[in-house]
Amino acid sequence: MSAQPLLDVRDLKVHFRTRGRTVRAVDGVSFDIAPGEVLGLVGESGCGKSTVGRALTQLERATAGQALFEGQDILSMSRRQFLPLRRHIQMIFQDPYASLNPRLTVAQTLSEPLFIHKIARSRKDAQARIAETLDLVGLGPEAMTRYPHEFSGGQRQRIGIARVMILEPKLVIADEAVSALDVSIQAQVLNLIKKLQRDSGMAMLFISHDLGVVRHISDRVAVMSAGKIVETGDKSAIFEAPQDAYTRRLLDSIPRIMPLKETS
Amino acid sequence: MALLDVENLEISIRFGHELLPVVRGVSFSVDENETLGIVGESGCGKSLTALAIMGLLEGSGVRVTGGRMRFGGRDLLAMSADERRHIMGNDMAMIFQEPMTSLNPVYRVGDQIIEALQQHRNLSRRAARRRAIELLDLVRIPEPDSRVDSFPHQLSGGQRQRVMIAMALSCDPKLLIADEPTTALDVTVQKEVLDLMLDLQKRTGTAIILISHDLGVIAETCNSVAVMYWGRLVETAPTDALFETLAHPYTRGLLHSIPAIDRDVDWLDAIPGRVPTIGEQIAGCPFHPRCPRAESRCRHEVPQPREIAPGHLVECHFPYGGDR
Amino acid sequence: MMAVASIRSVFAGRTFAQIGLVWLAFVALAAIFSPLIAPFDPYEIDPIARLTEPGWPHLFGTDHFGRDSFSRALYGARMTVLIGLGAVIVALLTGGLVGMLSAYFTRLGHVLMRGVDVLMAFPALLMALVLMTLLERSVMNTIIVIGVVYATTTARILFGMTLKLKGEVFVDAAVCSGAGHASILFRHILPNLVSPLLVQASFIFAFAQLQAAALDFLGLGLPPEVPSWGNMLSEERIYVTRAPWLLIFPGALIILSVFSMNLVGDAMRDSIDPRFKDDIAGV
Repeated sequence: MSAQPLLDVRDLKVHFRTRGRTVRAVDGVSFDIAPGEVLGLVGESGCGKSTVGRALTQLERATAGQALFEGQDILSMSRRQFLPLRRHIQMIFQDPYASLNPRLTVAQTLSEPLFIHKIARSRKDAQARIAETLDLVGLGPEAMTRYPHEFSGGQRQRIGIARVMILEPKLVIADEAVSALDVSIQAQVLNLIKKLQRDSGMAMLFISHDLGVVRHISDRVAVMSAGKIVETGDKSAIFEAPQDAYTRRLLDSIPRIMPLKETS
Repeated sequence: MALLDVENLEISIRFGHELLPVVRGVSFSVDENETLGIVGESGCGKSLTALAIMGLLEGSGVRVTGGRMRFGGRDLLAMSADERRHIMGNDMAMIFQEPMTSLNPVYRVGDQIIEALQQHRNLSRRAARRRAIELLDLVRIPEPDSRVDSFPHQLSGGQRQRVMIAMALSCDPKLLIADEPTTALDVTVQKEVLDLMLDLQKRTGTAIILISHDLGVIAETCNSVAVMYWGRLVETAPTDALFETLAHPYTRGLLHSIPAIDRDVDWLDAIPGRVPTIGEQIAGCPFHPRCPRAESRCRHEVPQPREIAPGHLVECHFPYGGDR
Repeated sequence: MMAVASIRSVFAGRTFAQIGLVWLAFVALAAIFSPLIAPFDPYEIDPIARLTEPGWPHLFGTDHFGRDSFSRALYGARMTVLIGLGAVIVALLTGGLVGMLSAYFTRLGHVLMRGVDVLMAFPALLMALVLMTLLERSVMNTIIVIGVVYATTTARILFGMTLKLKGEVFVDAAVCSGAGHASILFRHILPNLVSPLLVQASFIFAFAQLQAAALDFLGLGLPPEVPSWGNMLSEERIYVTRAPWLLIFPGALIILSVFSMNLVGDAMRDSIDPRFKDDIAGV
C-alpha cells in the first residue's frame, strides 16, 4: 500500500465483562481502508463484526489497540475530542424502523447533524441542503415534514442514508445496512449506496453477513470469525480462491441458484 | 390425488366491518416425498397460507373465506374443530422462524418432546423419553442422552431449530410446513438444517412445504416452487423449469435483485417501486406498477393463471418466453 | 405527542373510562367555578343551622359549625385538583429527573438509585406522616410531601423506561451525528416518554387524592379550616351516627374521583407503547 490509508486499525480489541466473565467480542483485529475504498467485513452472527463498527464510532469503548484516522488515533480520544471527527466518520444502521426517532420529522432528524457541525448557516440554508440530500437518496422534498412511521422500510433506510450523506463524510460504516430489507428493495438500496459511494468518493466499511451483498459492493473483503480476521484480500481472491478453511466453508454453505439461461 | 390439494384459497382480514381479501386464488398441491417452496417478500401472504393449512388462523381476525383444501382426500375446511386438531397433531407439523420463541424456556427440551409424544401416542413416560433421545439423535444433536435434559437457552440457535424439527417429527407427520426455518440462522448452520430436513424426508417420505424469502434456499431444496406476490400466486413450476424460463417478470426481477456470489455485476437490475401493503387497491395485475413489460391491458385486466408448459403456471399477460 | 385524535381513540369503546372522564370534567369545572356556583361562603359559620339534614337550601346539609357542606365540597374539588396537579408536578420534576439522569449516567445512577431504593422501603403513607410531622400544616407543604413520596416510584419507572430508550438505535444514531448529552436526553429520549408520563401522572393524581385525604383525616394535612374532602371527613367523623350525610358525601366524592382517575389511567395505559406497559404498574 503506497498511499497513506484513511483508516488504519491495529490490533483492535473490545472485551466485555458480564457477570465476572470476559467476552472477547473483538480480539486483535487489524485492517486498513484507503480513501475511496470499500472494505467488506463479513462473518456470521456473534463474530464481532458489528462491534468493530461500534468501536470505530465510539459507541463502544475499545479495550486495546489503535485506529488511526488520517493519522490520529480515534480510539484514545475523549467524547469531546472525537466530536469534530464524527462529521467524517458516519454510520448507517441495520434496522430502518429503529434507527429514526419516531417523534422527529425527517427535516428535524436531518437538520440535527447540520447544526451540530455548524454546516448550515441558517434555517434556509439547512432546508436547501436537506432537500438536496433527500433528492440524492431518491426522496422528494415533501418528505421533510413527515414522520418516520409514514414511510416504508426502504424509504426509511434512504432517510438514514441521507442523515449520513448530508455531512459528506470521508468514511461510512454500514452495519448490515440492507439486511432488514425485502429482496427487491435491498437491490434498490444497494445500488443507491454504491452510486453514492462512487460519486462522493467516500471510503466505506461495509459490515454484513451476506456474502453476495459484500461481493457486490466491496473492493476488498475481510472475513471475520470468533473475534478475529481470518482472511483479508481483494474480493476476487476471497471469492475465487479462498485460502482459509473457514472462508471456504462459508462460501460452500451458500445456497446457489443453478446457472440460468439468460433469455432477456 | 396429491396429499395436499389447495384450490383457489382465499384468506381475508377483518378491517373494522369489512373483510379484506389478502390471499386470493392460490392453488397448489404437494405429494409425499415432495418439497414445495413458497417464495415471496414480506406481506405477500406466504405465512398466512401456511397458517391456513395448519388451521392456525382461527381467532386472529384472519380467516379463510374461499376455496378448498383437501388433505389425504378429506376436505379440511368441512372438518370439525376436533378432527382438525387431530390432523394438526398427527399428520401435519409446523416449524417456525424463531426457535427460541416456539420453545418454552422453563422446561427441559426433552420434556417438551416427551409431552408432544404423549399427547399423540400411547407411550409410557419411559418409552417416550427413549423416543425423544432417538429423535434428538435423528436430528443430529450431539450427546442426545445428556442434551435431552438441557434447557432451550443452553442450546445454540441451530440446535434449537433442530429440536423444533425433532418435535415436529415426533408424530411422523405426513406433511411438514417450515416457515422461514433458517432465516434466523447463520449460513453454515442453515445448510446443516436444510440438509437435515431433506435427509429426513428421504427416510420418511414426508411432504414438505418450505416457505422462504430466499430464492437460493428454495432453489437448492425444493422440487417445485410457487412465487407469491401481494396475495397471489404469480408463478408455479418445477424448480428447474422456473429458474430456466423465469417467466413472470416478478420472478425474474426477484432473481436479478440478488447479488450473486459467483460473479460481479456493476449494478443490480432492481425492481422499481415498493412492495404494496395489504390494504392497498391495485387495479388489473398487482405487479403492473413495477413491471417493465406492463402495457395498458395489465392496468385493467387481472391476469388468470395459464399453463405455459406442463405444470408451469403463470399469472401474467405477457410472460417471458411466451407468445406476445 | 398525544394528539386530540388519539385521545378519542384511547377512550373509544370504553364506557367506564368515558364515565370517569365525564366525572373528572365535572370535578374540574367545580374546581374552576366554585366561587361562582357555591351558594354559600364555605367558611361562614351559622350556629343556628348546625347539622341540618340535606335539603333546600343546604343540598348536602350543614356541618357542626353550620357551614354549608355543598359549598365546602365545591371548594374541596378545588383543593383536590390543586393538590393532585401539584403533587404530579413535584413528583415528575424531581423523581423524573432523578430517574432519567440515573439511567443515562450509569455511575450517577448507581448512587442515586440506591437512595431511591432505601426511600421505597418505607410505606408511602408512613413517609408522608413522618415528613408532615416535621412541617407546618399548609397547602404547599402537603403538595410537596405527597409529591416527594411519589417521586420515588416515578424515579424507578422513569429509570427503567429511559434505560430502554437509551439502548435504542436512534439514540446511537444521534450519538453518531454528534448530539450532546442534553440533546439526547431532552430531544431524543424525553419526547418518547411523554405518553407513558401522562399515564404515570394520572395514577399519581389518583393516589395523591387518597394520600391527601388520609393526611387530612389524621389531622396532619391541610389546616382544618380549609375546605377539602379529607378535612370534611376528619372534622365531622364524630357525628357519624347523628349526621351520616356529612361523611357520605365527601367519602363518595373521594371514591368517585379516585376511581375515575384510575379508569382513565388504565385506558391510557392500554393504548400506549407496549414496551412501556410493564413499567407502569400503578404507583
